[in-house]
Amino acid sequence: MEFTVQDKGHYTEVAANGRLNMVAAPSLRKVVDEVVSGGGKRIVVNLADTSFMDSSGLGALIGCLKLARQSGGDLRIAAVQPQVTMVLELTSMHRVLTPHASADDAFRND
Amino acid sequence: MTDILARRTLEEPAAEQAIEDLHLLLEQLWLDAAFVPEPDRMAFTTAVIEAASNVVQHGIPAEGATLLLGVELTVAVARLRAVISEIGAAPMDPVPDLTGPTGPAALDDDALLEDYDESGRGLSMIRALVTTVTVEREGDTNIWVLSRDSGRN
Repeated sequence: MEFTVQDKGHYTEVAANGRLNMVAAPSLRKVVDEVVSGGGKRIVVNLADTSFMDSSGLGALIGCLKLARQSGGDLRIAAVQPQVTMVLELTSMHRVLTPHASADDAFRND
Repeated sequence: MTDILARRTLEEPAAEQAIEDLHLLLEQLWLDAAFVPEPDRMAFTTAVIEAASNVVQHGIPAEGATLLLGVELTVAVARLRAVISEIGAAPMDPVPDLTGPTGPAALDDDALLEDYDESGRGLSMIRALVTTVTVEREGDTNIWVLSRDSGRN
């Protein structure tokens, strides 16, 4: 899995390309940790090119959300694909990680 | 006897590479079994990766043994089946609870976030995604069998 971090002005986009499984989960944590350490408060994880997520990947997203909130910021997800939606709904985690249509939409009303 | 329409197998050291290889194996399986509805593929794929990841992350080799992950995937007309073997493994202690209730999700979103338990989540996901799941021990191998009725509404 590849991660691309981009400063979008009022938020930082972390685009995740590939499968967010037990192999990739630690890398996501590391990438988001670096964004938060660098002062990033608003983070959008763009899942448009994430074809798969398992409980390890979801655990990493949850960990990243907690990290962002602990530093006074927030993390949101965008452009979620069907398998990821299935996992979010199965675990009820869509309630705390509500998918947004696109990365630009995630913080549009804040 | 149910006719097997597609079959794929894998056996390699229980390490991260095995999980990446298993993803490719599942993709090949669906090429051979294009008639399987997408929701069934998605659920079965997720359950198989969860179970195999559980072996790689939590499997303990028996003394002097190398832990191997064995996977056999089969597709019949209305049945998807995965046999996931933890070869050269110490006995599971405790044996995972595959029958208990998964419990309702916390009502409060903050509690939902705080209560999130990654390791327990994988097992309850497997149970929700397949029709039956069993685990048994045979010789030096712990064997998970996942089965999903395909084409159900």
